[in-house]
Amino acid sequence: MIISAIGQGFLWGILGLGIFMTYRILNFPDMTTEGSFPLGGAVCVTAITNGVSPIFATLLGIVAGMCAGFITGMLYTKGKIPVILAGILVMSGLNSVMLFIMQTPNLSLLKQPKIQDFFTNLNLPDHFDIVLLGLIAIIIIVGLLLFFFFTDFGQAYIATGDNENMARSIGINTDRMKVIGLTLSNGVIALSGALIAQNDGYADIGKGVGVIVIGLASIIIGEVLYGEVTFIERLVAIVLGSIIYQLLILVIIKAGLDTTYLKIFSSIILALCLMIPRLKEALNLKTGLEKGE
Amino acid sequence: MKNKGIIGSIIALAVVLIGVFAYQMGSRQTGAATDNKEELKTVGILQFISHPSLDQIKDGVIKGLKDEGYEDGKNIKIEFLNGQGDQSKLNSMSQQLLEKNSDVLIGVATPAAKALANATSDTPIIMSAISDPIGAGLVTDLKNPGGNITGVNNLTPVDQQLDMAMEMFPEAKTVGMIYSSSEENSKSQIDRAEKRATKDGLTVKKYAISSSNDIAQITQQACQETDYLYIPQDNTIASAFQTMINESDKAKKPVFVSVDNMVKEGGIATVGQNQFELGVESGKMAADVLSGKSKPASTPVNVIDYGDMIINEDKAKELGITIPEKIKEKAEVVKGE
Repeated sequence: MIISAIGQGFLWGILGLGIFMTYRILNFPDMTTEGSFPLGGAVCVTAITNGVSPIFATLLGIVAGMCAGFITGMLYTKGKIPVILAGILVMSGLNSVMLFIMQTPNLSLLKQPKIQDFFTNLNLPDHFDIVLLGLIAIIIIVGLLLFFFFTDFGQAYIATGDNENMARSIGINTDRMKVIGLTLSNGVIALSGALIAQNDGYADIGKGVGVIVIGLASIIIGEVLYGEVTFIERLVAIVLGSIIYQLLILVIIKAGLDTTYLKIFSSIILALCLMIPRLKEALNLKTGLEKGE
Repeated sequence: MKNKGIIGSIIALAVVLIGVFAYQMGSRQTGAATDNKEELKTVGILQFISHPSLDQIKDGVIKGLKDEGYEDGKNIKIEFLNGQGDQSKLNSMSQQLLEKNSDVLIGVATPAAKALANATSDTPIIMSAISDPIGAGLVTDLKNPGGNITGVNNLTPVDQQLDMAMEMFPEAKTVGMIYSSSEENSKSQIDRAEKRATKDGLTVKKYAISSSNDIAQITQQACQETDYLYIPQDNTIASAFQTMINESDKAKKPVFVSVDNMVKEGGIATVGQNQFELGVESGKMAADVLSGKSKPASTPVNVIDYGDMIINEDKAKELGITIPEKIKEKAEVVKGE
């Protein structure tokens, strides 16, 4: 169980990294997530059932997610639609796109090749295939992100998020940065969707519901637990946050709480994590006053 | 990296991973001989979502087990988990049922059965009321499943339903079929119904809804263009059925449904399957597997494709429809709520 949760944590951690690129760096929540996540899975599973090799199918899923992000970006920058609305529009539109691609709301991968088969065939103990797959994917993504953010281009991207006016005044095309950010971020999110669909063994158009909460939870748990850290540490913290979130859910299931009401427990965990900085602040404030007197 | 918290966490993570890895590799060699203990057998039930008909199936499963002499707390332990429609939770719950050493697993509704099937290929799985096990990739052959999965396949009695509708509305020329595009089972039922209705010389108009918010408008449209409406077993429509009935009542068009309790809620009639009975059948199959009487691989899937006629007399009166005596004799008559 713990190993399975850690493996899931890795896969969901990729989602967290994808959301991080827009939510924390560009400072806006991207609702496209809830569409590009299941889209990645839908494209990947459809491709596999049509005989495409799992690795290539996963790449197709990523490309599909990037297209979705690109559309949101264009609606936002060129169409001047507020970004949350643009994301929601694309998200709900993708529902039909997925139905069109899969021709059914739920497509199964039973008895089909999957990307983790390579690791499964190594005859490892249960769930270690997923852990390995997740770990490798995380290392690749974190590596690429680090490489990206330390190029001039990546620095310009960060500057856009930090202070858009400043960035524009030194000649950065901020609109282009936002479009690229949304495109890349949704590609990463779709990768996570494709991997999770293969791990789960099916794609479903309903899979996107609530995933943004899981992604935000990883980011926030990572921030709250590890505080101010360097950039690379931040990325690692998100993945750790994701694993911790999965473990917390596991604790809830294990503790024998009625799983009928699982969602409120995940909401409570998240709300508590979000409030921790405030609670800390409130406590600090109190001691500060005492000293003043 | 300087942050001690992060480094600590990574080390902890690595220790757990390597520790469990080493332990499991080790126990692989020594294992096998140790699990001969006489324990209560465990039945794991995974339900997709809380929903009146699925709840009935679950209760039926427990009854079916009891009928065969397996009672929770006495000679078996029933572990029940409900995924509440959350796909990702269904997986971790499947894992958990396996961790509890379930001797037989029961999946209520297709997504639950799929999650279980994906989690294990050894532990026997009984599908409970799955309408299209082949389409869902659960079994490849109904007569000879071959793997670790068998169970009850409930085919909605579409033919019987349309025959009954024909008898009740002999003058009808077009039938409107409303279904939700996000439900696999619903769509496959509509495909079957369309085939049958076209064969009988009716014109079929299909209307897909993408969420319960579309129901009012689509129903209005459908009522204008057709003589009566036909609704498959569809969770989205079931939860917003009152909206549909409000609209169809305004247009004075009858709604032919596929689930018995929807007749009470305002549908005109159906040929329905008793969900509880479906559950009982699955429970009995699970009991046979528990007692060792049968193995999933050689147990044919139990296909149930018949049902009982149910009509709502109040609704018929309200819409000015006279029900042929022939049907009235055979059918169970209910009053609207």
